[in-house]
Amino acid sequence: MERPTATRKAGAKQSARTGARAAPLFGLPAAAVVALLLYLPFLWTTYVSFTDYNGLASPVWSGLTNYKAMFSDPDLVGALTNTLLWVVGLVTLPVVLGLLVAVLTYGHKWGTWLRLPFLLPYAISGVAVGVIWGFVLQPDGALGQVLGFLGLPGAHTGWLQAGPGNTLMMIVAVTWQAAGVNALLFVVGLQSIPAEPLEAARLDGAEGFKLFLHQLWPQLRPITTVVIGLSIVGSLKTFDVVWVMTQGGPGTSSETLALSMYKETFVLNDYGQGAAIALFLSLVTFAASILYLRYQLSDGDAR
Amino acid sequence: MNKSSSGPIRTAILVVLGLIWLAPVYLLIVNASKSIDGYDAKTVWKPAGFSLFTNFGDAWSKASLGDTLVATTLYSVVAPVLAVLIGAAAGYAIVVLKLRRGFLWFVFIFGGTIFPLQMVLMPLFSGYANSGLYDTRVGMIIVYTAISVPFSAFVMRNFFTGIARSVFEAAIVDGGGLFRIFRSIYLPMAGSALAAIFILQATFVWNDLLLGLTLSQSESVRPIMPALTGLQSTYGGAALPTVLAGGLLVSLPTVILFLAAQRFFSRGLALGQF
Repeated sequence: MERPTATRKAGAKQSARTGARAAPLFGLPAAAVVALLLYLPFLWTTYVSFTDYNGLASPVWSGLTNYKAMFSDPDLVGALTNTLLWVVGLVTLPVVLGLLVAVLTYGHKWGTWLRLPFLLPYAISGVAVGVIWGFVLQPDGALGQVLGFLGLPGAHTGWLQAGPGNTLMMIVAVTWQAAGVNALLFVVGLQSIPAEPLEAARLDGAEGFKLFLHQLWPQLRPITTVVIGLSIVGSLKTFDVVWVMTQGGPGTSSETLALSMYKETFVLNDYGQGAAIALFLSLVTFAASILYLRYQLSDGDAR
Repeated sequence: MNKSSSGPIRTAILVVLGLIWLAPVYLLIVNASKSIDGYDAKTVWKPAGFSLFTNFGDAWSKASLGDTLVATTLYSVVAPVLAVLIGAAAGYAIVVLKLRRGFLWFVFIFGGTIFPLQMVLMPLFSGYANSGLYDTRVGMIIVYTAISVPFSAFVMRNFFTGIARSVFEAAIVDGGGLFRIFRSIYLPMAGSALAAIFILQATFVWNDLLLGLTLSQSESVRPIMPALTGLQSTYGGAALPTVLAGGLLVSLPTVILFLAAQRFFSRGLALGQF
């Protein structure tokens, strides 16, 4: 009775070796697709960012010219400032609101249902969000009429007609879309907190805000890191909503860097400039990604 | 958790906030339902008439949303399916077949998602223009597949890690080829993970604007989101109900998918996909 087991083991070992030999064949399609359509373009963009290139003639080396322009050309500096506004706006408004909704709905009898209105906009595309909010923010439109009805000032404001107000209103639109997602993430975070210390805190008389500050907040740290990391990455990529609502205008008053990249490349044919903006965005995105990827990857290994 | 935590103040805050959140949706539905002649910019809050389906029809024909819808459905189904299979094969190679330097392979494949789309747009545009892939459905499917592969490989690697080694050894002893083991044992086991990836990536493809804008132009190839922006800029002033109806129409599939598969979305969120 010894022999079959031995053969079995030897067979398994043998097969493991064939497995290792054939393995690259299974991994190759993924690696090839990623190399060809993502890494190769990445390298080309990196090179082009140091050149003067219009897409037709050969690229001419120009050193850091394109990068210097990002910090001196008034339009691009404007886009940089707007992007910064987006980052600050999206790491505060949707995060704070998401946290509020999560804490209020967590443990609530109808929590799932009360959370639904906030989640609904998340299922809608950025383009549709732009269409809806472009409509809401029309001069004397839906928002203006509400302000007028309530007797508040601002009823006749052209919300999207001047910077930086137009950027702020578009941040509100994206907050509408993104708050629910953050709430969902915070709820996942809350669920991982053991119930006992919370109960104990209640018995000690810690209530409401105090309870939140001393018991929940410290334990929500990891998930907050993820939410903020994702918010930064998302805000840097802001394109769809702006493209639909203002196309970056009037003039360039509401352009973001992601939008400038598109315009420089495909409208103005300044490929080098577009590439430099893209690489800059990538570096900042990468730095922000490290924030949450570390957590995410270690989490994946644990499972 | 605690009974007292469903207090009236808490509920009131949530209801008021929730109503504010639903207001834009209300405005969308009410105004997308008005006839073009019956629409008055001064009374957007008041419902008036019900011409929603006429407006759907107008949006459908005016923006050629019909053609676009066929193309976008094709992209949203085919590309995620391909990505799921390619990603699963990579996960299988790394975890089950113990690919040499597997972790490096994994980092290489997953690293494809870290930089923003802006980084690959221009070379893709040039490359597509030179190779004849520009403005073709095949080209769109290829690019959407490539974008979806890293996430798919990431999830599948994690999933296969959780499967006992003995499953593979038993299958080998039973005399299965490596491809057959992949197809008839590992893929069927991964059903829920495959579905989760598929749903998330299909939503991503459906909602994409940037790649569609850059790599296509004709009505039969262009995906739905760029087509909607076209409708907005062409008919924005004159026929707002039509534009809003278009916005509602393109949102319905993802909203329904989302409501039907909420738990998949929350899982994807935790993985940091969107």
